[in-house]
Amino acid sequence: MFKKILFATSATEVSDHAARVAFNIARSYNAHLNIFHVLGVPSRGFSQVVVDVKTKERVDVDDDYMDWVKEEVTTYYSKYLDNGLESSITVTVGLPAREILRQAKDTKPDLILLGGSTGDEKDSVYKKNSAGSTLQKVARSAKCPVLVVNRPAASFWGGLSNITFGTDFSKTSDKAFDFAFKIAKALDCELNVFHALDIFSLSIGGILPQDDIEQKIREKLRTIRSRYETRLKELKNYSMEVLEGIPYIEIVKYARDNHSDLIVMAHHSRKIKSEDANLGDNVEQVIVRAGCPVISVNR
Amino acid sequence: MPEGKYCNKTPVETPEEVNFLLSDTSGNTYYEEMESLDIDSDLLWKTIQNTFKSRLKTWLEICAHCGMCAESCFLYQVNNRDPKQVPAYKIQSTLGEIINRKGKVDNKFMRHAMEVAWAQCTCCNRCGTYCPHGIDTGIMFGYLRGLLYQQGFVPWEMKIGAGMHRTYRAQMDVTNEDFVETFEWMIEENEDEYPGLTAPVDKEGADILYTVNAREVKHYPEDLAEAAILFHIAGENWTIPSAGWEQTSLAMFAGDWAACKMQVESVYAAMERLKPKRMIGTECGHAHRATVIEGPYWAGRKDGLPPVESIHYVEWLAEALRTGKLKIDPSKRIKELVTIQDSCNYIRNQGLKDATREIISYIVEPGYFVEMSPNKEHNYCCGGGGGFNGIGIFRKQRNKALITKRDQILKTGAKLVLAPCHNCWDAIRDLEEEYNIGIRWSFLKPVIIKMLDIPDHLKPEE
Repeated sequence: MFKKILFATSATEVSDHAARVAFNIARSYNAHLNIFHVLGVPSRGFSQVVVDVKTKERVDVDDDYMDWVKEEVTTYYSKYLDNGLESSITVTVGLPAREILRQAKDTKPDLILLGGSTGDEKDSVYKKNSAGSTLQKVARSAKCPVLVVNRPAASFWGGLSNITFGTDFSKTSDKAFDFAFKIAKALDCELNVFHALDIFSLSIGGILPQDDIEQKIREKLRTIRSRYETRLKELKNYSMEVLEGIPYIEIVKYARDNHSDLIVMAHHSRKIKSEDANLGDNVEQVIVRAGCPVISVNR
Repeated sequence: MPEGKYCNKTPVETPEEVNFLLSDTSGNTYYEEMESLDIDSDLLWKTIQNTFKSRLKTWLEICAHCGMCAESCFLYQVNNRDPKQVPAYKIQSTLGEIINRKGKVDNKFMRHAMEVAWAQCTCCNRCGTYCPHGIDTGIMFGYLRGLLYQQGFVPWEMKIGAGMHRTYRAQMDVTNEDFVETFEWMIEENEDEYPGLTAPVDKEGADILYTVNAREVKHYPEDLAEAAILFHIAGENWTIPSAGWEQTSLAMFAGDWAACKMQVESVYAAMERLKPKRMIGTECGHAHRATVIEGPYWAGRKDGLPPVESIHYVEWLAEALRTGKLKIDPSKRIKELVTIQDSCNYIRNQGLKDATREIISYIVEPGYFVEMSPNKEHNYCCGGGGGFNGIGIFRKQRNKALITKRDQILKTGAKLVLAPCHNCWDAIRDLEEEYNIGIRWSFLKPVIIKMLDIPDHLKPEE
């Protein structure tokens, strides 16, 4: 299923839960794990100075410093790195989202796994002046699925048995379905196809009667059937559901109630957010809230 | 020790030599070696006799020591009006002394001159605007830097920068292959969103030849994507050269005259090879000065002009907005207080103030644009010009120099600063990091892309 995984990490506590998932998948599926760390952001014009992401100090980066950081990363993950896990460590300098995408372009992984956020805007040296966060940029442009573990609660990965796939019936959602279906089939797990009826966008200009809502739900269920059921029948276990509410909340709730260990959703590349917008896209909200890892697929 | 391993009079010209110099972290050994570097006074005096011509001679001679330049210099203002920071004093006590002593100066003097040339003048040329005789100290400092470079008295990063140009014809270790590949990568990343997006390489006879700053390729390739997107939406017939794409010149900041010539000739060769109607460079100030304003003289062009008409990015943007090639959705205009940083190199030195104001008139909701004070050709340097941004040993002085811009920005009340110049962008970035005044800053490209009214036929299907 996964042969090459790119794990982008700050190599600090905030990435610990993502690290557990990363090492777990790599081990479970005998994948090669490339631990990728952007140690700092270029600063001071064309000088050799970068702001170190861990210490927030300005340092002159040379080969010795790079080696030292590599050593640090190795030590940080030493407890995971034994037992014949196939792995490599790459350390570089630059703007994280860009460097993660560059590494992905060069190494072509099947999956990119992103560590946790490095803190709020004010503290983080990563996010200075970036239009959108690392997550937004990587999820938008990556050519492979991107797995994000945002909350510690989402870090359990004892193998996969239950997947929630959230759809909005877009083309990109079809791509995400293909991916979710492939995992479900390969790993023999249950696939739940879910659509959340956005009652707020429906009710603009007045309150919608429940009969109308339920009518819409029936329509959407029919859409799910016509779109996905033929293929779903190839699986042993699957289900289809439509509920009304705020989409990202409904998806998170649905996945929780179903004990899903993975959510798969489409990322709509065309809706990149400006620097002052919060995570607005549904998938981004789901990532922030979900109790399990979320995979975002954009093509 | 006359010549050091790292610090010497020999320019850096190969990747190995660049890496060797880089391996001396922060230039610690380099500066130690500099303390015992010999001066070749004969060479220095001979060089002066060959290159110190009527304009500079006159300027140095006719300075009336009136002190009108003092207040014009932001470094004088920000350093408690220290008389030693008066532009006339700064140049008379360095270049003037070297000339008076016919090149017979010692090591200590040269190290002092280096500090004055790179940490007490950003070559912003503001003093030249205020001198009753029109004496431009910034130009003279550019000349002094050349003499210092020849003798090996140049900040470590500047020697590296000039070496990069000699080695790669770019300010960073970015090869021609890297450049083309990165551009292609960016097209690939954005072509779904902008169907038909391309970056034609080496197309002959295009309307526009586009040149960039190597830092975009190395660290901020989004900038390349944004340039491509804007040309694409505007329906321009454009191309990038597979060689001669670097518009900047750290060699100019370093005073490495030979490297300046090599660098600019690589761009002119691209112009001559591809015969475009015009050349447009990225949002960079010194790059424009190097390639369009000073470059023709370095290359020995008699007409003082580049081989083809060359304009700054802001001139193209203003034109594209004016002619309707690019349309702005008025509902997406900037609706918060916003100010603009006037780059010395193309505002004061080339008079493009109206172009940037014209752009503002399209992209900012009326009433939200605030000028800095002073502004336009009277604006102060960002604080990091002329190479100041990147020089480690003068960091303290540079950080102090940022105070002028910090206070100018604070006074506008704007939280968003448009900075269509790489060097200004860097300085403003650093000043936010140093002083935490809570501002955001941006080039024009990303801001404009967000508010474009894209014609239906250029939108993706769905």
